[in-house]
Amino acid sequence: MSSPVRSPEGVWWNRSVNPHERRWLSISLLTCLILFSWMVGWRMLGAQNPMGPTYRIEPEAWQAKVEAYIEAAESSDRGIVPPGDDVYISGRQWLWTGLPVVLEVGKEYTFHFGSFDVQHGFGLHRRDELIEQFNLQVLPGYEWTMPMTFKHPGVYDVQCNEFCGVGHRVMHGQIIVE
Amino acid sequence: MAIGLLENDYGADGFRTCRVTGLRIHRSAEVPVKMFGLTAVVALIIGGIAALLVALTRWEAVGILGAADFYKFLSLHAWNLLIFWMVFMEIAILYVGGPIVLGRKLPASWMANTGWAVMLGSALLIDYAIWTTAPPDNQPLLTSYAPLQASPLFYLGAIVFILGAVIAALPFFFCIWQQKREEPDKTLPLVTFGAFITGIIAVEALVGGLVTYVPTYLWRIGVVAHIDAAWYRHMFWIIGHGSQQINLAAMITVWYFMTWLTAGAEVVSEKISRGAFILYLFFINMGAAHHLMADPVLSSGWKMWNTSYAVYGAVLASLIHAFAIPAGLEAGRRKRGLGGDTWFGWLRTAPWHDPGFSATAWSIILFGFLGGITGVLMGQMQLNTLRHNTLAVPGHFHGTVAVGTTLAFMGLLYYVIRLFFNKEWVLDWFARLQPHLYALAMSIAAMAMMEAGIVYGAPRRDPVTMSIPGTDFSFAAAGPMYAIMGVAAVLAVAAGVIFILVAVGSLLFGKPARMRVPVPLSLGASGDRPVHDHSMRGTFAMVGFFLAVMALFYGLDWMWLSRLWEFGG
Repeated sequence: MSSPVRSPEGVWWNRSVNPHERRWLSISLLTCLILFSWMVGWRMLGAQNPMGPTYRIEPEAWQAKVEAYIEAAESSDRGIVPPGDDVYISGRQWLWTGLPVVLEVGKEYTFHFGSFDVQHGFGLHRRDELIEQFNLQVLPGYEWTMPMTFKHPGVYDVQCNEFCGVGHRVMHGQIIVE
Repeated sequence: MAIGLLENDYGADGFRTCRVTGLRIHRSAEVPVKMFGLTAVVALIIGGIAALLVALTRWEAVGILGAADFYKFLSLHAWNLLIFWMVFMEIAILYVGGPIVLGRKLPASWMANTGWAVMLGSALLIDYAIWTTAPPDNQPLLTSYAPLQASPLFYLGAIVFILGAVIAALPFFFCIWQQKREEPDKTLPLVTFGAFITGIIAVEALVGGLVTYVPTYLWRIGVVAHIDAAWYRHMFWIIGHGSQQINLAAMITVWYFMTWLTAGAEVVSEKISRGAFILYLFFINMGAAHHLMADPVLSSGWKMWNTSYAVYGAVLASLIHAFAIPAGLEAGRRKRGLGGDTWFGWLRTAPWHDPGFSATAWSIILFGFLGGITGVLMGQMQLNTLRHNTLAVPGHFHGTVAVGTTLAFMGLLYYVIRLFFNKEWVLDWFARLQPHLYALAMSIAAMAMMEAGIVYGAPRRDPVTMSIPGTDFSFAAAGPMYAIMGVAAVLAVAAGVIFILVAVGSLLFGKPARMRVPVPLSLGASGDRPVHDHSMRGTFAMVGFFLAVMALFYGLDWMWLSRLWEFGG
């Protein structure tokens, strides 16, 4: 009897394995290989990859950069219109600096994410659509750049989704794509 | 009374022989198992009360707590259930898997007592720190992400708790060392081997915890001026996820033990099951990288290497156990002629009325379907962005640590009551119903959270999402999901209350245990074929179904992702 609470007797590493278990082992290995290649493949061929260069930046320098950007941007009653292809968004307790922002559909922008104080979560939702959302972590001390192109016009709501203090829930903003 | 509970009829040498399992149990090992087990149950009670309040807040139609209280009880919920309940149980499991299974004394048992006292004291300190947190400090929740500062007592408590757990784990390692010194050529039993791997993974995680919390404490009290948010996340998840890997390895060890004890499972292949544990040892700590998929700083190469090439070593191990444990049940029961020569007779005739078995069986099934599948999905760098920081994440880990680990530990405790405390269960029928109710209710709650997170993007860690001041945007569409989650969570807490009533009631009022050897264990083999020669076709069909479900959700997730706007290089 092969009990899990008794030492196995004899040369147990030579004992044969049930064909079903051998088959499952191969299927499992294959599953892992598929998971791996699909992820790497999407990184090379797919259009949705949460990646882009990160730069270490002192909070004061980051704040100055964001302020200079807002200074240069044109502001309308719906939000700011970025002066070029760069969009700066910074979290702070408890609002998003740089939002609301008005962007053009189909144009590639470079987003710059950062924080003035603590960690925040950048949750972006296309209004009135299901499952059209994505979520990033935003850290103080780092500027994360990521290219982004919106395919559909509309309102995209931003909600902080990392706990950043007791007022966390009021931290929202908008991206308007037209 | 309390002292009496810790006693048993030991012989002059301090040993007794368990009349059910035949194991030789020494007092020095059995007493700490009871102490750690009882303390874990106290943590379960505190965490369970917090769970009810958290769930009734997130069920926004009820909305019982304001924001400040919500975060307080969320922190209590996380630390008492995810850390104290689990870690106290795991130390008990180490002592069962080591000295009790090996029939040895627990060496240096004063360290077990010291570790217990230190862990208990620091757990109380952490609860006190959470309870008294006031501005400018913030509630730590589980993660205490710097630079958002928590109470200094909290970090101190975390450091001391980790030290206590290391002290308590040491006698287990001494025991293994003694065993291998005395009988170097004898292979450790599989349960001991699993506990040994659990122990090593635990120490890795705990060392990571010291690396995290000591500098963070120094920063909090002003000795260190600056703390880097990315550094903190990277270090924290060594213990943050590492502690969940202890849960996983301990739970799987319990699965092997309980399916054997209650239903006559055998080990169908020693080398494959042990190989899978070794894969955990080398690869599972990479699981921590899953938490950093939507982070800046780390390159996509780092993310993909750690969550795929490396962590699939651990996914492979889990897939192996997912087959080996039900297959052990199937072949073990077929060998004894239980359930007939049909595809699933062995499972249908299994002792589903025995809470030790039903808790284990549901734990295996639900851990795989709810926790396992979502874990694999979230571990893909791109898919992670769909779920990161949404309610789907708590949905995932209630599929792992609630219906998985907690349920398995409850099943184990039913037998600790019978075999160690020598008490029969009171409220017998409630005990038999309890695992089914908990499994059903908690899996519905977990699925509602997953749905609210993935479909509506509802954030986690947020008491009110259906109205946001200053905007007409809200997550009100997720309201029905919150309601389903709330009702199911109340039922799950009710199942928890039944468990506590049975456990505490049995210890206080239970009749002396009269349990005999369970039928499957008492039956000899019908025929002399070795266990691996018996059919495993039922298990093969079930894991095939599991894989098909996983493939379905994998395909759905990628389809959803492809509909998003373009981002990333």
